[in-house]
Amino acid sequence: MSTLDKAHTSSRPVPNPKRSLITRLHMGTGVVVGIIFAALVYWALKNSLLTYTDKVADPLSPHDNNIVLLGAMFAWSIGFMAGIGAFIGPWRWLIGKDLTDEEILYLAGDGQGTKRYFKYCTDHKVVGIQYLVGVMTLLGVGGTMAMMIRTNLARPGGHFITATVYNSLVGLHGITMIIAMIIVATGPFGNYVMPIMIGAYDMAFPRLNALSWWVLFTAIPVLCSAWFLGGIPTGWTAYAPLSIQAGPGMNAFIATIIIFAVSTAVAGANITTTVIAMRTKGMKWNRVPIFVIGSTISVALAIPAFPTFMVSMIMTALDRTYNTGFFDANMGGSGWLYSNLFWIMGHPEVYVILIPGVAALMEIVPVFVRKPLFSYNAAIMGFAGIAGLSILVWAHHMYMAGWAPSLNGPFMVTTEMISIPTGLLFLVLIGTMWRGKPWMKLPMLSVFAFIWDFMIGGITGIYLSDVPADSYLHGSMFVTAHFHFTLMGAALTGAIGGLAYWYPKMTGRMLHERAGYISFWMVQIGFNVLFFGMFMAGAEGQPRRVVDYAALFRNSNLISTIGAYSVGTGMIILLWAVIHSWTKGKIAPMNPWGAKTLEWTVPYPVPLTNFDELPVITSDPYGYGKGK
Amino acid sequence: MADHSVEELAPTPGDRATRFLKRADVKQTTLFFIFWTALFVVLGIYFYPKWMPTIMSVEMKSAEKIMIWFTVISAPIAGFVLAVATTAFMNRHRGDTPPPDGPAIRTNGPVVAVWTVTSLVFALVAIIWGLTEMNGQAVAAAKDAKSAITIEVRGSQWVWTFNYPAQGIETHELNLPIGVPVIFDVKSADVNHSFWPVQLGVKVDANAQVTTVIHTTPDKLGPIDVKCAELCGLYHAYMETTGEIQSASDFDAWVTAQGGHKA
Amino acid sequence: MDTSTENEVSGGKRLISAVAFLFLGVAVVSTVGFTLHSVSADSQKKAYATVNGTATVNGATLKHAFINESVFPDDATARANQVNRTNSHPWPFYTEEHLVLPAHSLITMTLKVYDSGEQLNTNYFAKVVGTVDNTMTVDGQQVSSLDPTGVQHTFTLHGLPTSTQDPLFVNVPLPKMSDAEMTANKYRTVVFSFVTGGAGDYVWNCEYPCGDGTYAKFGAVMGQNGYMSGKVSVVNG
Repeated sequence: MSTLDKAHTSSRPVPNPKRSLITRLHMGTGVVVGIIFAALVYWALKNSLLTYTDKVADPLSPHDNNIVLLGAMFAWSIGFMAGIGAFIGPWRWLIGKDLTDEEILYLAGDGQGTKRYFKYCTDHKVVGIQYLVGVMTLLGVGGTMAMMIRTNLARPGGHFITATVYNSLVGLHGITMIIAMIIVATGPFGNYVMPIMIGAYDMAFPRLNALSWWVLFTAIPVLCSAWFLGGIPTGWTAYAPLSIQAGPGMNAFIATIIIFAVSTAVAGANITTTVIAMRTKGMKWNRVPIFVIGSTISVALAIPAFPTFMVSMIMTALDRTYNTGFFDANMGGSGWLYSNLFWIMGHPEVYVILIPGVAALMEIVPVFVRKPLFSYNAAIMGFAGIAGLSILVWAHHMYMAGWAPSLNGPFMVTTEMISIPTGLLFLVLIGTMWRGKPWMKLPMLSVFAFIWDFMIGGITGIYLSDVPADSYLHGSMFVTAHFHFTLMGAALTGAIGGLAYWYPKMTGRMLHERAGYISFWMVQIGFNVLFFGMFMAGAEGQPRRVVDYAALFRNSNLISTIGAYSVGTGMIILLWAVIHSWTKGKIAPMNPWGAKTLEWTVPYPVPLTNFDELPVITSDPYGYGKGK
Repeated sequence: MADHSVEELAPTPGDRATRFLKRADVKQTTLFFIFWTALFVVLGIYFYPKWMPTIMSVEMKSAEKIMIWFTVISAPIAGFVLAVATTAFMNRHRGDTPPPDGPAIRTNGPVVAVWTVTSLVFALVAIIWGLTEMNGQAVAAAKDAKSAITIEVRGSQWVWTFNYPAQGIETHELNLPIGVPVIFDVKSADVNHSFWPVQLGVKVDANAQVTTVIHTTPDKLGPIDVKCAELCGLYHAYMETTGEIQSASDFDAWVTAQGGHKA
Repeated sequence: MDTSTENEVSGGKRLISAVAFLFLGVAVVSTVGFTLHSVSADSQKKAYATVNGTATVNGATLKHAFINESVFPDDATARANQVNRTNSHPWPFYTEEHLVLPAHSLITMTLKVYDSGEQLNTNYFAKVVGTVDNTMTVDGQQVSSLDPTGVQHTFTLHGLPTSTQDPLFVNVPLPKMSDAEMTANKYRTVVFSFVTGGAGDYVWNCEYPCGDGTYAKFGAVMGQNGYMSGKVSVVNG
């Protein structure tokens, strides 16, 4: 930080530490080193380790292959990070020659134009844009897979693709979207906007920030490699022992999760530290913008949650490679152990996804209604309550597992209790709207869509959490429809609202409005049609994750597929609007929405250290309104 | 929902309430509240019974009741939220400049309190309802255990098989006598499956090495579907079979035809 | 970033750009879809049963159709028996994957089986189920079940219960070959007949754990379309 403070002069030269290695490294060198290292490890393991297992006992043992593939995948990730220069800093520190000020400034990427987006750049605004592009890519890939799934299910018979490909599509669509949704708001906005919102020069650990993005980046090719290794048959939940039985594609899934967990741990530590330690003068906790509160609670919840996913994947990998039998009942292990570890992550995880999306909308409503946020305290209590309860509800995913039927009651109690903090979130949104005249711009439309979608998701969640109803609905399409209403209808809608809202600050231009409206209505109407059909299929008794279904479900599935095509078309239009407006949109004024949070007080392009002089805060940013 | 920021405070609470109710936005919200509440009630009462398959056990009936009644109970809450949102939407502001500032309502203690207590009561209703149903089912199962027939269900990738130990038969179809309590002992030959006799409204996972148990009593004659509700690999979608709830004499005849004997 | 209006494009151009982008997007998604479709369609070669005369089953006269298949432990054994096939894995396989059978007919299926075997995961599949009289013949001898420890593969035909098609369930266990017989390239002939109902879509798969050494031996070959699983279409006419 001190370096940046020093560098903080009105006219500074572009740093150019000529002889330093860091100037020569970028994404390309990362890819090259990553591939070379992966190939080396692949070759080494293939040629030496293969003799390790007992060929006589099991000549067809697939375990060697798993070791080789996992080794190569992790080697790619580590090699890439080395090749892009992630380890230079720690290494120089280790040998007592820490980076010079000039080198640190170079890493911040000031004045390097587009090039810096492909480098190990420590500027939080660059990382934010990298995350935004990354998220859109993941959503595009996951969305394409969703279209394949719905096309196959358009009519009974499963004629479009075979079961192998379909099962892989279901699992890879799931995990791609889950990863995308975990970072969809905290990635782009948490990195780009949040440090400005709290009045900080940068994140607390700029190099960790770059690390979190590039580590995540290395997971993407690993995940894609699953397609070329025979796919995965397990769905994104990767339940053992099916995951132990699965083919080599499963290694890609395991490696992706482990790499992704490293990335979220680093990002979570960074964001929480930044918000705790780097708020500007006068920004007491009760003056912090609600989006910052929401994102912080979300990542703070992710910090304890994701390690259990990572652990469960390491154990799966060990079961698959060294026959450790953690999850194999025939060896004294238990598949229920996996389900528990998975859902101890899995339920907090859905709130990790949801909270930043809601928080973004809470940031938006006061600005567009020109009223203070209604009951800031209720919003915080809502987020904190959800976060607290969410770590106590995991086994509601296992009501029908037969694991501990007598625990169903207690877990039902905690699960139903979540409706109380969730209700507070609704109260904050509608309380802010009450007696206001909402300004109908794109971000505000998302708020209305959120209220409708999350209402449906919430009510259906109430039956699912009641054991006697879940005993019919569990594992059916009804569940799929429910969680799409909460994750897509609520969290993704919130993130799209956030994108429309912060787009002018991130690109300097306004998002194309008419395309935004067309996309909004196509997506929202299509979405509701799509999942109405899926509620119907589920209530009729169609299991989820099926490549084919009985003729009884013909109509409901056709409705879903028609809705899905509308969503897909709407999303392509939104993508066009984002790409087109980035270079050709209307130039945005500094504060197009007339908001009072700090990010709107800085010009575009945002200076390297955000503020010439750190602002002093005297009130919260919701001082709208007349009277009182 | 009382609003305390009315510009001039009226002398009595009664006057304030009257004035509040006469406000245009309050009237508008009330109308939307009635509309949305009614819509949710109709959706719940109309669609779920229409969609769900034939109800052939108490467990299935209780699932349907929860889906309908929880929709009805939550309809006023949903109706209220959507009514406020719709009123705001109707009074929207267009144009390229922000609307004028609204009233600076920071919070409203009574509203937040009433809201929180309402959702607490709602959560308690859901919890108590669920616990009561679960308890009732458990008590009934315990009482019926003596007169029950036991069926060993085995999930193998990707076929269900059913062993009737007392009758000495093993089949791939699940036929059951009406009115006789049945205990399903569920096990897997390989990965996890989930045994789901759809019209009976019960479900439990099949695991290797451990037996999981569910109880039910079929109370209606007719065909049933048996599905797998847990992704179990390649042909998960095709891991389905049929069966029938039969009268006692038909069931006995079927058992005999399969080479078994009366229990 | 420049603040000039040079970059602002006309409405017409913008519309063209948006529509072109939309088409591009749809084209990309469709390309992915049809690639997946064609990739997975490759393994679905159809094998048709040939109708030859009629047969009387339980007093009803039905068309009589015949279909032949072989089951090999790998493609080397197949080539040794004049069946040319190059699989991407050294796995056991049925020679035909997508069977097309006439509706309302007696189907007689002849399987030449070449593989060794062991214990089944579920003994039920050692029984002959769903064939005429619940029996089959092995090298001419009639049997109604096998020893569950002596099965090489099974032919298990099933499908989705649906109101629009008749239920069809057939399970036939295939007797294993000893190692000596395998080395000598011998085979057994299994013949069985079953009656199809109306038109419909079904699947078949093997219930013998012939996957690799992973969990329950249902990995690898058992987890993929082709080899040990496929479709069955019952068609009219």
